[in-house]
Amino acid sequence: MALGGFANRIAHVDLTAGTVEYRGIPEDWARKYIGARGLGVRYTLENGPQVDPLSPDNLLCFMNGPLTGTEANMSGRMAIVTKSPLTGTVTDSHHGGWSAARLRWAGFDGVLVKGKASSPVYLYVQDSTVEIRDASEVWGKGVHDTVAFFRDRYGEKDLSVIAIGQAGENLVRFACWVNENDRASGRGGTGCVGGSKLLKAIVIKAPKKMPKAANLEAWKPAHKRALATIMDEQNITSPRKGGLSVYGTNVLMNITSTIGALPTKNSMVTSFGPSAEKISGEYVKEHILVDDPTCHACPVACKKEVEIKEGPWKGLRMESVEYEPAWSLGANCGNDDINTVAKLIDLCNDYGMDAIETGHPISIYMEATERGYTNGDGGLAWGDTMAMVELARKIAFREGIGNVMADGADATAQYFGHPELAMTVKGQGVPAYDPRGLKGMGIGYATSNRGACHLRAYTPAAELGVMPFGSLKVDPLAWKGKGELVKIFQDIHAFSDSLDLCKFSAFAESAEEYAAQYAAMVGVECTADDVIKIGERIYNLERYYNNLAGIGAGSDYLPARFTQEPSTMPGSLGHVCELDEMLAEYYAARGWENGVVPESKLRELGIIE
Amino acid sequence: MQVNFYATLRPIVGGRTVQFDIGENITVQQLVDAVVTRFPKLRQELLNDEGHLYPHVHVFVNGRDAPYLPNGVETVIQPGDTIDIFPAVAGG
Repeated sequence: MALGGFANRIAHVDLTAGTVEYRGIPEDWARKYIGARGLGVRYTLENGPQVDPLSPDNLLCFMNGPLTGTEANMSGRMAIVTKSPLTGTVTDSHHGGWSAARLRWAGFDGVLVKGKASSPVYLYVQDSTVEIRDASEVWGKGVHDTVAFFRDRYGEKDLSVIAIGQAGENLVRFACWVNENDRASGRGGTGCVGGSKLLKAIVIKAPKKMPKAANLEAWKPAHKRALATIMDEQNITSPRKGGLSVYGTNVLMNITSTIGALPTKNSMVTSFGPSAEKISGEYVKEHILVDDPTCHACPVACKKEVEIKEGPWKGLRMESVEYEPAWSLGANCGNDDINTVAKLIDLCNDYGMDAIETGHPISIYMEATERGYTNGDGGLAWGDTMAMVELARKIAFREGIGNVMADGADATAQYFGHPELAMTVKGQGVPAYDPRGLKGMGIGYATSNRGACHLRAYTPAAELGVMPFGSLKVDPLAWKGKGELVKIFQDIHAFSDSLDLCKFSAFAESAEEYAAQYAAMVGVECTADDVIKIGERIYNLERYYNNLAGIGAGSDYLPARFTQEPSTMPGSLGHVCELDEMLAEYYAARGWENGVVPESKLRELGIIE
Repeated sequence: MQVNFYATLRPIVGGRTVQFDIGENITVQQLVDAVVTRFPKLRQELLNDEGHLYPHVHVFVNGRDAPYLPNGVETVIQPGDTIDIFPAVAGG
């Protein structure tokens, strides 16, 4: 391949045959789809969109981007891409820390896994080689014990471990991969796919060896300019000064509750009132924060490590108390005890379960109890902390009602006979922004290709006015213009997810910075317009996959609660989410027909001939 | 009048809630002026060189950002209104 920056080496692992082959990346695919998310989706499409997600035929891709593990700031990320057992769509889920960088330093752009082993295995990656090894000694262990086992065997120095816990082994539909820093590729059930293949872990031993840019002369100013935007004291990314650095993502808990955009008690209301303060980033910093970990090449250090100081989990030290899981296991479940929130996040990390998704069947059970839908079964009160901790275990091990919950929010709501209690889109639970208070999120959730997601199009960056230097600010309660805005966000994020740079780079960098870094690293021409065009291609590729998989017209929707039940809380009082109006605007901007990509658009973008 | 402060503004004002004795029928702009007079370090956090609120900071009146109130920053604050002031915040 003529492109620079890449290792141009992908390991193709067949667990059924027990073989590993090494191949380069098709240059046409690298040019069109960049890497990580885009390239992983292209490989997944090639594998066939009709595949059963839990069959040996499903492909599981651990995919880096051309910037992963380089000098580029916030570049310690990979995408795990597969067909999701939770949604049936293609999904890509990213994580940070150092494991992605280490995979690159070991000489790989990606590892693609197909088939199913005859007994539990792990992959050992070192010096451009991947070996399939026996995992019988770690099968049954949580992620934390698995990491400890491999550190003991191979030495902690230069070692990364990406593992599934018991949830993945037990095929919990939203099981995930977690690495040695408790960074999770949370969404979409990629860990469940791993469990279905009897693949326990990927272990990587590689000292630091950052790839050099193909065009060093262009790289230096591009890198310098990108770093300057991150460090600028006006930006929330500013180390130890900006809100994201000082308080982490949980700096959001108070503002979303204030403006009536915090989905509380299974989205029955849009604010947690005074209780929001008790699980906020400010509260964490004041009471239990002990450290601010970071990732490869990142000066922001947004992670928040805490130590519980009292109560049944006194002494537990864990990371990280992020906004999304603090919401899902906190306000979403009527739980204002930060210690239990931290404990539950830690359990999700260890069992290997999406902490956002785990809160959904629990909150459904709580609402079903309140409304008398549980048919006399014990029930679960809002904020019952001890019961929540026990339920997390039951879900991971598929015990009792946990066996129902392990299949996700839709299955849980149907079990209680009330499917309308599931706050999901395409089967995936909504994240921590109520579309009645932040309407861009409504169209964003509905049109996300991987199910309800806040990261496909992070519109709060505009709706809260934190675009670089406040360059764009729009009214969170207005719907007009949000369809077009979401398309732009989706396209730019698709590109940056394919580089693979941390989403938070978007609070400082713009398409110009992404283009300059990509062009210099890979040795091509790239402008800001190219970034949006390539991102558009990647977004349509994903939609094409979904259409072929049978997810087509009518698949972009929101739960009726958001479109028909007005908010009752200050900030968004009386508002619903005007999805239909935004969808019409969005489809016009996309050139789609009711969620289906026409062939003319696929040809225009070069996805098909 | 009680005003709530959040995130990186709290260390500047010394806590979550600060009492301001500034009379009745004041506008949002007059309140902001009183805030930056009492806490001069907040001026550079909240106001641009022309003395206007930065787009990335927020003065919420009952959860609604000042620019979107019927009279913007000239809106008169009513007794019982909740005032929350945030710096730039975002996340994931």
